[in-house]
Amino acid sequence: MGSEGATLGEQKPARGRGGWEARKRRVPYWLMLPAAVFLLVLLVIPLIILVYTSLQSGGVFSGAFEFTWNFSNYTDQLGQYQEQMLRSVVYAGLTTLLALLLAYPMTYWIAFYGGRWKTSILLLILLPFFVSFVIRTVQWKFLLGDQGLIFGPLKNLGLLPDSFRVLATPLAVIAGMTYNYLPFTALPLYVALERIDERLVEAAKDLYSSRFEAFRHVVWPLSLPGVFAAFLLTFVPATGDYVNAAVLGGTNTTMIGNIIQEKFLQELNYPEAAALSVILMIVMLILATIYAKVLGTEDSALAAGATGA
Amino acid sequence: MSEREERQMMDSALQRAMGSRFSRRSVLKGAGMGAAGFSLAAFMAACGGDGGGGGGGGGGEDPAVVFGGQPGDTVQFANWPLYLDQAKDKDGNVFHPTLRLFKEDTGIDVNYEAVIQSNEEFFGKLRPELQAGTQNDWDIIVITNGRQLNVLLANEWVYQLDTSLRPNFDANATSFANSPTYDEGNKYSMAWQGGFTSIAYDTTKVNGEITKLDDLADPDKVGQNSVGMLKSDMPDFVMVNLGIDPATAGPEEWKQAAAWLQMQKESGTVRQYYDQGYIDDFVAGNTTATMAWSGDVLYYKVWLGYSDFEYIFPEGGALLWQDNMLVPVGAPNAPGAAQVMDWYFDSKIATMVTEWVLYLSPVKGVQERILKDGDAAVEDGYKGYATKLYNTANNEYAFPSDDLLGQTKFGASITTDEAAEEWDNIFLPISQG
Repeated sequence: MGSEGATLGEQKPARGRGGWEARKRRVPYWLMLPAAVFLLVLLVIPLIILVYTSLQSGGVFSGAFEFTWNFSNYTDQLGQYQEQMLRSVVYAGLTTLLALLLAYPMTYWIAFYGGRWKTSILLLILLPFFVSFVIRTVQWKFLLGDQGLIFGPLKNLGLLPDSFRVLATPLAVIAGMTYNYLPFTALPLYVALERIDERLVEAAKDLYSSRFEAFRHVVWPLSLPGVFAAFLLTFVPATGDYVNAAVLGGTNTTMIGNIIQEKFLQELNYPEAAALSVILMIVMLILATIYAKVLGTEDSALAAGATGA
Repeated sequence: MSEREERQMMDSALQRAMGSRFSRRSVLKGAGMGAAGFSLAAFMAACGGDGGGGGGGGGGEDPAVVFGGQPGDTVQFANWPLYLDQAKDKDGNVFHPTLRLFKEDTGIDVNYEAVIQSNEEFFGKLRPELQAGTQNDWDIIVITNGRQLNVLLANEWVYQLDTSLRPNFDANATSFANSPTYDEGNKYSMAWQGGFTSIAYDTTKVNGEITKLDDLADPDKVGQNSVGMLKSDMPDFVMVNLGIDPATAGPEEWKQAAAWLQMQKESGTVRQYYDQGYIDDFVAGNTTATMAWSGDVLYYKVWLGYSDFEYIFPEGGALLWQDNMLVPVGAPNAPGAAQVMDWYFDSKIATMVTEWVLYLSPVKGVQERILKDGDAAVEDGYKGYATKLYNTANNEYAFPSDDLLGQTKFGASITTDEAAEEWDNIFLPISQG
């Protein structure tokens, strides 16, 4: 009995510790569960449906779409819409570049010189989000109209020719996208810049670096994780955007998002719309991976290491 | 004039004077955009089913059975925004006078909801339910003649109507509403309102008059990058103007229309291919000429005083379209729906609607009644309102003569997947540049 009792007495705490340890190890998984379920229901399952639909054939008039491993949906779309796909990538790339150029100095100033106004100024950047995306874009039509608030008076003064226009051009689409996605660029940049310890810049200056050199060797590398995040948050949605091209564009500014929208809503060709969506996702995934390999991951790691040091 | 009618008239006059109203086709210029918000959910739903043929199609059921029996207490009516008369009561509550009269007459409530922002979006939402046979939200829906309507008919996702239950329609339907090419014998549909697709231009911005389709491809006349084209209507509109009847045309004729559109694109006159929102660019002066829906231009010209706007039929003619009431399969109160649909073919009721929405009424006798209302408004001292009523009644694009109607055609009626694919392959590359 005594022996048994001792054995039990030894085992109980061990089992208790083991159970506690096991439960402790499971805590992160439990914490992740809501997000995992959310992603499964709203990302993974729709993605599976999307791929499944993209391999269907049939039509709405016959009322039937059947899964037939119809890979021609992919090959046909790839051949037919290369121009619009390339245009989308170029427009999104230019948008991202412009947004970075605009947002970086702005967020730099807020992070280092904003003082007690930082939050208020940041709120101003977010202010456009309080208005619907479509409404914001449509308002640009009034602003940039051929006889609108900006160009009307300039034309009346003879400073611009009557034929001058911005609307219905690629410039209008890219400008509209830059405006709409600027907050997506600015926020991660701000977060990265705001984290930088100003004493590092002072130290660089103490070591006789110029302002530019301090920026180049200290601020810029440390802000790269923000630049990387800003790129992804801007480039990815901008590539699939169709609102700006539809509202501000002209006859040759159609983006791949517009094609997908038309295929789904007007042509009622769901398999082809799905195939184009999958192609777009793959293209963006490839571009983002290349970007991460070339610029993102390594620099981010270096930057993170530098911050840690 | 009853007190109710007087209140309605005053309310309409005030509203119009304030310029707060927009025609229903232009009010949601972002209809395509509006689709953005729903598209993921609809897409998932749409993608969920495959196979199964026509799914829940039940339109082949005996109309006498579907529409027989006692109507239920409530009819669920889905329509477009700003597409039904409305007024305010003494407490400031908005109501629809014609529906209130219907309730008084039949005891049936109509739950009217302006939920249709575009044919594409509404169809996208409804299709999965219709295919699965689970639709029971709506008793009446309103869809424009075109692809979505043809799909509904082809799959028998709408009930065949009981023609014995529409005495007002039989007595009062106009020639164009009676047996249209897309639904001969009105077996499935009854028109709600209609209109023309033709050309509007600003007389101060074009060089001379616009009289023919080719003028839209002439930079000397309309300028460079200055013409608005309506994406969905332009193939049919061009066919009509090339002397082709879209209803009987095939791929060869479609290619002729596509060739003209390509020529126009290369001429440099086109500014944009629009889904919606064309009227804003026209009003803002960004386009000098545009394909346009008659009700939109009528509203700006007659009610808002844009006297420089002209709306014309080119020499080749124009396109006629109609928004149609349909009873989707699964409608919980089909007998009640039949009563509502016929109610709006009473000319007195139709007049109340037309005075508010300004589109082409499918009901005879409306023009005469609007003129009478104009006389009544003069007697009551509402001279400005009376003038607008007279201008509406005398506008030939709101109340077309037989001669004018003779220049119009309905669009092509695509009814097979093969034809739809061929049509898309011919026309879409032009606007998807």
